[in-house]
Amino acid sequence: MAKLEKHTGHYLSLITILGVGFAILFFSSDRSFQMLSLTLTVFFYVLWGIIHHYLNHDLTAKIVVEYSLMGALGEALVFLILKGGFGL
Amino acid sequence: MRKFLHDFLFPHHHNNFRSKLLHHKSIFFTIVLVLFAGFALSLVRTNFPQVLGVSYDITSSQLLILTNQKRQESGASPLSLSDKLSLAATYKAKDMFSENYWAHNSPSGRTPWVFIKDVGYAYVYAGENLARGFNSSDDVVKAWMASPDHRENMLSKNYSDVGFAVLKGKLSGEETVLIVEMLGSTNFATKTGSETAVTPSASSEVQNLVLSRNEKPFINSVIFSRNLAISIVIVFITVLVLDMLVIRRRKVTRFVGHNLDHILFFITILLVIIIIARGLII
Repeated sequence: MAKLEKHTGHYLSLITILGVGFAILFFSSDRSFQMLSLTLTVFFYVLWGIIHHYLNHDLTAKIVVEYSLMGALGEALVFLILKGGFGL
Repeated sequence: MRKFLHDFLFPHHHNNFRSKLLHHKSIFFTIVLVLFAGFALSLVRTNFPQVLGVSYDITSSQLLILTNQKRQESGASPLSLSDKLSLAATYKAKDMFSENYWAHNSPSGRTPWVFIKDVGYAYVYAGENLARGFNSSDDVVKAWMASPDHRENMLSKNYSDVGFAVLKGKLSGEETVLIVEMLGSTNFATKTGSETAVTPSASSEVQNLVLSRNEKPFINSVIFSRNLAISIVIVFITVLVLDMLVIRRRKVTRFVGHNLDHILFFITILLVIIIIARGLII
C-alpha cells in the first residue's frame, strides 16, 4: 500500500496504459487490429516498467529482462488461442 | 514433490527469496511451452479435424425463438422466419467466405440489400446483423442485445420477417462460424405473426447449404486453448500474489520487478483472453 501511495502517478499511468489498450481491443471487431493493440499495450507496459524502475533508482538489466519476459508471456498466451484455437 | 512445489510457488532462502516460477528461466520455459502448445494444437486441428476444431450449437430455430422472446419483452410483434431472407443470409455468408471479408459491404461494393433483392424479396425495410465465433445461439442474441445498433435492428417494429444463416468456414485464415441475420418487411405496416410465403426451391437450397457444414469435433479448440491460457494466467497471478505477501511479511529486500505491476498486467491479459476467445459482432 505504501508503494501505491508513493507512486500514485506511476500506477495511474500504468492503469491508463492497460485500460486504454484493453478498451481499444474490446471495441474492435478486427482481429489484426486487436493484435496490434495488444502488442502496443505490451510494448508500453515494458517501457513503463523500465521508466518506473529508472525513476525509482533500481533499474538493472535483470529487471528489463523480467518485464520483457512477462510481456512476451502475455503475447504468447494470446498466440495460443489464435493459433491453437482459431488456426490462424 | 512437496518440496518441489514449495520451491516453485513460495519465496524462501532455497530459491533466493523468489518463487521459482518467477525466475527468468521458468518464465522463458513457460513461453516456449505455450508457443509449442499453440503449434501442436494447430497441427492436431489440421490433421484431425474430427478431434479438435471449431464447434457450435447455433440453429436458425433457436435464434428465431430467442429473437422473438426479446421482441415480445419489448412490446414488438414476433418475426416470421422467411426462407427468402434465410437464403439471402446464406448467400451473404458464402460471399464473405469466398471474398474473404468481415463487413456489411463486400470489397466489390455489394451491399446486403443486393442479396435480399437477388432472392426476390421485395423489401420496404431491411436490416442485417452479423456475428462470428460464437458457440451458442444464446451468446449470439445476448451480444446483439448488448450493442445499441444491433439491438435496435432486432427490436425494430419496421420488420416482420427474418432469415438466418449459420455457416462454418475460414475467414482471413481463421476457422470460424459466421451468423448472418437478415431482417425485412415487404409492407409499410408491420405484420402480426402472419406467415411469409415459402418457395419450395428456396427452402431446400437453404437446408442443403446449412446442413452440409454442421459437423462437430470432439473438442472445441477455442474453448480448450482459452481454458489452457486462463489456467496459466491464474497460476501466475496466484504465485505473484503469494510471493508478494510472503516477502512483505518477512520484510526481505530484493532487486526484482514489482509483483503488483505484473499482477495488473496479467489481469489485463486475462480480460484480453476472454475478449479474444468470444465472438465478434458488426
